[in-house]
Amino acid sequence: MNKDTPIIEVRNLVARYDEQLVLDGISFDVQEGEILVVLGASGCGKTTLLKHMVGLLAPAAGEILYRGRDLTKMDEEELARLLQRIGITFQSGALFNSMSVAENVGLPIEEYGTTDRELRDTLVRMKLRLVGLGNSGDRMPDELSGGMKKRVGFARSIAMDPEIVFFDEPSAGLDPIMAAGLDKLILDIRRLMGVTMIVVTHELESIRTVADRVLMLDRGRIIFTGTLDEAEKSDIPRVRQFFDRQPDAKIVEGVRFNDNGYKDS
Amino acid sequence: MTMDNPVPSKHRVYVRGRITDEDGARILQQVSRIISEGGGSLSIDLKDAAHIDSRGAAWLIRAARAATREGMTVTMDGARGEVADFLNLVREDFTRTPELAPQRALLLESIGEKAFAMLEELKDACRLVIDAVYWSFIAPFEGRGLRWKALLAELNETGVKAIGIVSLLNFLLGLVIAMLSAAQASTFGVQIFVASLVVIGFAKELAVVMTGIVVSARTGSAIAAELATMKVYEEIDALRGMGLSVAKFLIAPKVLAILIAMPILTAIGFIMGVGGGFVLGIFSLGFTFKRWWAQTLLAATVRDLSQGEIKSVFFALIIVLVGCHNGLRVTGGARGVGLATTRAVVMDVFFIVVADLVFALLFYFFL
Repeated sequence: MNKDTPIIEVRNLVARYDEQLVLDGISFDVQEGEILVVLGASGCGKTTLLKHMVGLLAPAAGEILYRGRDLTKMDEEELARLLQRIGITFQSGALFNSMSVAENVGLPIEEYGTTDRELRDTLVRMKLRLVGLGNSGDRMPDELSGGMKKRVGFARSIAMDPEIVFFDEPSAGLDPIMAAGLDKLILDIRRLMGVTMIVVTHELESIRTVADRVLMLDRGRIIFTGTLDEAEKSDIPRVRQFFDRQPDAKIVEGVRFNDNGYKDS
Repeated sequence: MTMDNPVPSKHRVYVRGRITDEDGARILQQVSRIISEGGGSLSIDLKDAAHIDSRGAAWLIRAARAATREGMTVTMDGARGEVADFLNLVREDFTRTPELAPQRALLLESIGEKAFAMLEELKDACRLVIDAVYWSFIAPFEGRGLRWKALLAELNETGVKAIGIVSLLNFLLGLVIAMLSAAQASTFGVQIFVASLVVIGFAKELAVVMTGIVVSARTGSAIAAELATMKVYEEIDALRGMGLSVAKFLIAPKVLAILIAMPILTAIGFIMGVGGGFVLGIFSLGFTFKRWWAQTLLAATVRDLSQGEIKSVFFALIIVLVGCHNGLRVTGGARGVGLATTRAVVMDVFFIVVADLVFALLFYFFL
């Protein structure tokens, strides 16, 4: 496969919840093998974008092309085949609470036809060891900490050796050590398995560690795409504000109450 | 804090010292008096205000808005230091009028909206039924698998564990029905027909309705709550994100389990209800076991029993599909889960009674 052909192309994607416009016609490419970080303030539509890109939500308009095939026009079977090559790690891990850690990770392996029990168990243990939880297979999800759940979720998402992994908020709500561990894990997995990753986050440290390229969303539109370097040097105010961790201007600036008085009419 | 009001129609409120709750209330009183005296401009002089807390500021905002509403021009002058900083922080509250309550939709419009919402829900429900039927009855024969382990677990949960409560409630209902009808029958000296009444009543109606209500309360609510929770915690998304079918994993085992369990539970309920009649007939009405048994056999017909069993299958489908439908439609967090569960049980009971009526009519005319 030509390295320059994008593995995913999003074209004019429009998303809405009821009346509210969440994504306002956005377009971008994802190159094979890169880690693209989608960033932006809370509530700017990052997770919505991710859920559209894997077909969990149907767009109001636009196309999502995987190697040229439009996901929104796929029938159920084609979509299922595509999803086998995609891994998704959800914000909270989204582990099945009624199944053990090993069963969670083994579920896609089993469902996609690996009937040999020993092979399956070996695969599961291998994936769990990759995320540093080799000995936790028999535990239930409610016995795990938040960070462990995310790692198991990640193990499950790479269970089928996907080409593309979507990772929603890897480090949100974790302590710095755990967060750094997950970032390293993301880089390791990319190096070892050569997967393309789309990581949704707003944690600056994570972005600086893992991102090859960043895409910034603001109020449903893309306001920046480029490398991390370019982003850090960007003079787009909203991007600057994000990387400099500045609060919204309207709170700190504006008319002050002083001897000129305050007028209201 | 003091206030004065020198020039009419160009009013001035002078505020000094600390502005807290009480002082704020007094400012509003003062402003109200000015408003009632007629319009003009109002200036609130803050140059000697030394401190303001959030309640004080809220009173100030309240007073400024009241005056603005009456067409007065309001200015705040001379705030300094801490007071200026505080007011600057809340400055938007002065200018921004409180958001109006969303305009109430016109009657026609709201009816239309409801109708569309119902249509959408109906579409969802149809899709669910098609999926459920396919993954429960067709896919297993196409070699696309059935989750046996899940089915057995569901059978245990829905069926085996419900035997106790279904038995007890039907037995008690049998006693009650026998007791009530015995009082009536005794006026004509035909207490023996109580045996017939209990048998016919439980075969056609009481066992299946009682069991349906128990199962909807136990299992229908559990199904809705389980799926709703899974939806809220993105587990449903995770399943779909792996390209796996929610219907196959979660719905089909429940559909099959309840379809097996309900008729059996109904049969058990029937036996226990009739048992309740027996207890009353023998211990209270003084019949011999043989006499009561003979009358029971006389009254029991395969036709009546099969009516109850046919209904039990449909009630089972209502319970499981309503539960799944409400669970999967949930939005929001914990509150959504609660609402989905409530809605599922209410809909279950409603549809069970409606279906019962429909079946009564069908059986009356066609059987």
